[in-house]
This record gives sequence, structure tokens and C-alpha cells, in this order.
Amino acid sequence: MSPAVVALSIVGLVVGGTIAFALFSVRRIPMDPHQYIVAGRSFGAFFLWLLLAGEVYTAFTFLGAAGWAYSYGAAAFYILAYGTIGYVIGYFLLPAISEVGHARGLLTSGDFFADRFGSRRLGVAVGALQFFFLIPYVTLQLTGLQILLTIAGYDAYDARVGVSIGFLLMALFVFSAGLRGTAWASVVKDGLVLAAVIFAGVALPLKFFGSYGAMFDQVNRAHPTWLTLVATPTNHSVIWFVTTVALTAIGFFAGPQNMAAILSARDGNVLRKNAIWMPVYQVVLLLVFFAGFAALLIVPGMKPGAADQSFVLVVQRYYPAWVVGFIAAAGSLAALVPASGLLLGGASNLVKNVLGDGFGLATGDRARTLATRIAVLALALLALGLWLVYSKTLVDLLLFYYNGITQLMPGLIFGLVWKRVGAGAIGAGIAGGLLTVLTIFYEHADPTPWGINIGLLALAVNVIVVVTVTLIWPRKDAVAEVAG
Amino acid sequence: MTKSARALRLVLACVVPAMLTIGIPFANRVEPRIFGLPFLLAWIVLGMILAPVSLSLIYRLEGRRHT
Repeated sequence: MSPAVVALSIVGLVVGGTIAFALFSVRRIPMDPHQYIVAGRSFGAFFLWLLLAGEVYTAFTFLGAAGWAYSYGAAAFYILAYGTIGYVIGYFLLPAISEVGHARGLLTSGDFFADRFGSRRLGVAVGALQFFFLIPYVTLQLTGLQILLTIAGYDAYDARVGVSIGFLLMALFVFSAGLRGTAWASVVKDGLVLAAVIFAGVALPLKFFGSYGAMFDQVNRAHPTWLTLVATPTNHSVIWFVTTVALTAIGFFAGPQNMAAILSARDGNVLRKNAIWMPVYQVVLLLVFFAGFAALLIVPGMKPGAADQSFVLVVQRYYPAWVVGFIAAAGSLAALVPASGLLLGGASNLVKNVLGDGFGLATGDRARTLATRIAVLALALLALGLWLVYSKTLVDLLLFYYNGITQLMPGLIFGLVWKRVGAGAIGAGIAGGLLTVLTIFYEHADPTPWGINIGLLALAVNVIVVVTVTLIWPRKDAVAEVAG
Repeated sequence: MTKSARALRLVLACVVPAMLTIGIPFANRVEPRIFGLPFLLAWIVLGMILAPVSLSLIYRLEGRRHT
């Protein structure tokens, strides 16, 4: 058998086996919207850990983190820093959101906005925004999958066919298994990913360099500016690093997929314990950096975009096909499992908030579950279509996802702590933030002066608008109190 | 919670975020190396290790809540 057949067969068996395992695990669960979207609010610490970790650490994180370490050196460390701060913020934020969610029976982030600010229209708008922001994020996972399948196929096949098949299989899987299915699939995914990064981040550097110290000595000699941040105010400078870490840490849990995980928790203490222990999972990212630095020395000279595949390429060149197969299989699951959570998060917002609350469609339990399932497939096809047509401009789209989704954070926080904020203030704030992002985006002013992150500027505009509007027109009607 | 417990909680909550944002300009150097890692990376890893420590101290301070 050719190495491509061996490697691709392993990928196919692992992905197929994971889907079968997860389907088997949920076979007795009757699906109503609460089961399908937030797993009946029943998850304890273990499943929640898997689900949150599954959504945060995606294929793009792994390939991108190694690629950034390869191409930009220390700037990549921001990925490690923002997650850590994100969990500290999450320790306080997530239990508070979950308690409101339980008391008020919320299903989506659109619900949260509609309930807290007493405006169905705001819920519709937030639901629609979430849906649109998710499309590029799903699309990114497909690019990650393409890189892995191209390498596992030893460049002999058109990986787009494999990506399309794998992704549609995953969409059908979400169609039938819902959030519980995603959590079970995460069990397999996390185990394999852990094995893969230990191999890539421990075995690989030690085989080629003997020790991490020796590896960093070599990196420092070959690229003297690589292990620290540049002081001059520009892209990837110290100021860029600090502002980007601030923005991404604040927006860490703003996505609709995170809301589904938060609402699936049994109670607030489960979320607190998770926030305490999740930073440990970040060790995985540290190992990926090691793999990226190792690749920089072993296969030098790759361009920034191409460097995303650097460490997988090292594995392909120096290890047998079955190792390549298992690494690519772990990576494929790391693309597909989070994508399944994203599909579910986007679809539930569209159906519950836009179709249901906005147009009065699919409001019964059975109709809503069915409509959410159909929306999962529609979102999958939309993302796949977008990816097949525009696969080159994705990094811009990712930027837009993060900068855009973070604009929902003032609403999530003010909705918990400041009763005088009304729907108009939040809506105006989101609009102001998004306009700021769009203006800078289309003026091509990124990097901005001094390398300040544009999303953080937009977030500042957002908060100023919310506070100003609230001080001038404070909300008069009472917010529903949360018991407990 | 008492007033001093609240203050302690605030300090504990701010240590890691401060290390990884305003602390970065001061940690931006290669030497001294810690276990072979460049100092900047070791500093960020230290923050990553301290996060569970500070959060579990806060958890103890708050006690188990009724939810």
C-alpha cells in the first residue's frame, strides 16, 4: 500500500469510528429543543470540560499556533496568554450567566439579550449577528482540515473532495445527535489530540535537538529577534501583544457555541471548577509552540500562510505513514468536532431568535428541533460553499469574527450588573463597535497606529456609546429578578 | 464574605491578568533562561500555572455557593 492510502485510511477509520461511537452513546436520548441545544442543562464537570476545551482548542488553533511560532516567533505567545486570562474572567462571568439561564429558561445568546434588556428585537438582531459571524469561523476549520488531508494524502489527491465529504458527514452527525453527540465525540478527539501534541511537542524536538534548551539556543542563533517582542510600535510589537491579549481574553466566551456550553452546565459550581482547571489544558498549546519552533529549524524558509502546515510536514518527511495518519486523524477531529458545536450554536440562534421570536415560525417543541436540524445543514452548506469559492481571504474573515463577536461582551456583562441599561443602548453600542471595525477594515488601517488592536478600539467605542446612552436615557421598567 | 476577604479576592483575581498584560513589557527578554525556555515564554507559562492556583484560592474563599 502507498503511504497515502495508509494515512488516509487511518483518518477515515478514526473519524468514522468517532461519529459511530458518539451516535451509539446518544441513541436513547429523546430530542426536544432543550436536549438538542443545551443537553437538558445536565452536564457535570467532565462533559463540560470536554465541551469547552473542544470549542476553544480547534484545528486552527493547533496549526495556527505552530504556524505563528514558525513565522512570527514570540508574537504567537499571545495565544497562550489570552486563554489564561479568559479563564480568570470566565470564573466570575460564566456562573452568573448560567444562573440567569437556568432561572429564565434561556437557550441561546439571543435569548440572553432579549431577556435581560426586555427586547425581542434585540434578541433577533443578536441571533442574526451570531449566525453570520459563525460562517467564517466554521470555514476556517475547513482550511485546517484541507491542510491535514493534503499532507495525509502526500499531495496525490485533491483534498477538497475529502474536506467536503468529512464536513457533510459531520453536519449529518450534528443533525441527529445534537450537543450531547458533540460532547461524546470530544472524548475521542481530546484523547487523540493530546497524544498527537505530546508526540509533536516532546518527541519531535527531543529527537532532533536533544533538549528544549538546545532547540531555543539554535532558534536564538538563527533568528535573534524571534524569542522576544519588538519594542517599536508596529504590528506584533509589545503594544500589539498587550492590546490583542486584552481583546481576545474579553471575547473568549462571547461566541454562541460558548453560550450553549455554559447553559448545558448543571450549576454554577461546575463552571467555577472548570474555570479553575481549564488553564491546565493550555499546556497543549505550549507543546504546539515547541513543535512550531522545531519545524522552523528542520524545514526552514516557509512563507507565513504555508507555515501553518510546518510541523505536520516534518512528521510527513521523517516518520512512517501510520504516524502521519494518526496525527492527521487527531487534527481532523480537532477541526470537525468544534465545527459541529459551531453549527449547532449558529443554527439554534437562527431558529430560536430570528425565525421563532422574529417571525413567529417553528415555535412548538417538535417544529423547533426539526427547524434547528435543518438550519444546521443549511449553515454547513453555506460555510462549505463560501470556503470552496473564497478560501484565500480567510485570515481577514477570522479577524472580523473576533472583532465582531467581542462587541457582544458589553451586553453580556451589563446585562448582569447594571439594571439601568436598555436595549437601545446595547444595540447602539454594538452598532458603533461594528461600524468602527468596518471602517478600519475597509480603510486597510490594520495594523493601526502603534499596533493597537482594532477590536479593542471598537470595544472602547461600544462601551462609551452604551454608557452615554444609558446616562441620558436610563431604563425605567424593571428587569426580571433572578431567584437565588 | 468579609470586607478583607473581598479585597483579597480582588487581588487574587488580578494577579494573572496583570502579569500577562502590563507585566509583558518588563518580561520581554530572552535571558535568564528558565528550564531552557526564553524568559518571556517562561513568564507566560508561570501565569498559566498561577491561574489555577489563584482561582482555587478564590473558590475556597467564597465557599460553596447555593445555586
